[in-house]
Amino acid sequence: MVYKPKEIPEGVNVTSVHPLVNFAYLLGTVVVFSGLVYLGLGAIATQLATRISPELEAKIGRELISDIPHLDRESNSPKQQYLEELLTSLQKSNVNSYTPLTIYVQKSKISNAAILPGGHIIITTTLLEEAESENELAFVIAHELGHHIARDHLKGLGRSLVLLTVASVLGVGGGNANIVGITGSLTNLHYSRQQESTADLYALSAIVDYYGHGDASLDFFNRIQTKNKDKRGEFSAYFSTHPLTQKRINYLHQFAKKKGWKMKGEIKSLPNNIFD
Amino acid sequence: MDLIFLVILLGVGYFVGSYLEKKHYQDIKKRERQTLHVPVVTFGAKQAIPHGNEAALFLGSVVVSADYFKMFASSLRNLVGGRVVVYESVLDRGRREAILRMKEQAISWGATQVVNVRLETSTVGSQSGGKGLAAIEVTAYGTGIR
Repeated sequence: MVYKPKEIPEGVNVTSVHPLVNFAYLLGTVVVFSGLVYLGLGAIATQLATRISPELEAKIGRELISDIPHLDRESNSPKQQYLEELLTSLQKSNVNSYTPLTIYVQKSKISNAAILPGGHIIITTTLLEEAESENELAFVIAHELGHHIARDHLKGLGRSLVLLTVASVLGVGGGNANIVGITGSLTNLHYSRQQESTADLYALSAIVDYYGHGDASLDFFNRIQTKNKDKRGEFSAYFSTHPLTQKRINYLHQFAKKKGWKMKGEIKSLPNNIFD
Repeated sequence: MDLIFLVILLGVGYFVGSYLEKKHYQDIKKRERQTLHVPVVTFGAKQAIPHGNEAALFLGSVVVSADYFKMFASSLRNLVGGRVVVYESVLDRGRREAILRMKEQAISWGATQVVNVRLETSTVGSQSGGKGLAAIEVTAYGTGIR
């Protein structure tokens, strides 16, 4: 047998696809797929927010509340009793909450209020200290109540609600599992202007139901508004989670006028020696 | 910020990597043409090898690594599965370079042909399944006769 050297054929073992084309195809697949997952999670979260059972919500709420630092809930302290009474009286008789509500005081230097799934209302100590009348404190609580009734707190969790629900159903991550880490900071829940407005209207009608007028209830908002104009950023904690505009305050006044609600009346002061 | 780093790494990986690959292929093709006159065959084991006065073992080995672009593309490929096109050229270069090194040694020794050629591949530097240097070693060995 005679050996005849011949040219070695090219491209037998290498697919002739340009690496960039191949890369673009791969990247495209991954991007499209993650986009679909993202949209899917969003759709599931919206469905969950409106259909989740109170029991499951309570379960999620328990896990979340256990991760919040500096919570103070002495069931027998006069402060706690006062807040709970206020909360109960604010719940309008016709719109009952679908879960029992609890109220917590969080030691914090920022002034804020939030509602968690499962009917947990959190109010910071600074907010309590700054409140000048019961009416304005009641409005803040009623506003969070409005979010609760409209299930905004579930909607605000967004896609992380799906993860939370799955974690709760499977029973993983009780106690020290950092669910909040997954969901991001809870105080970063944010609501749309529409949701804020609806919660405002709910709050105002609850206030008018309870006190007979809406006087002083918007003081807290007014104060934040002016402070926020003075010092940019420093006082924006409540502001960032509850987008507040002068428009919103004006709208509330207009709405009260239309409904014929009184915006002047006797202002109830806060009980002494409770918030010191 | 991380994204910018990623893009820079990918860019460096792609442009430098494809430039070096092109150079390497040119070099391989040139040397393959130069050594074409000596046959390299796989028969020989349990077969009568062609008559020769002397025989010796020759071994050519090379370690080649993928660039960052190739590694990134292959990690994307890992998600969906299929042919890892970007690694095909790395292995192709490795095999041809290893054979060439073996053959060049044999030629300088004076071989008229290299029989019973075998190829082996192993990964280098990368722990099983872990991240790290994705380099492969290709070894070609055969019996040179003269």
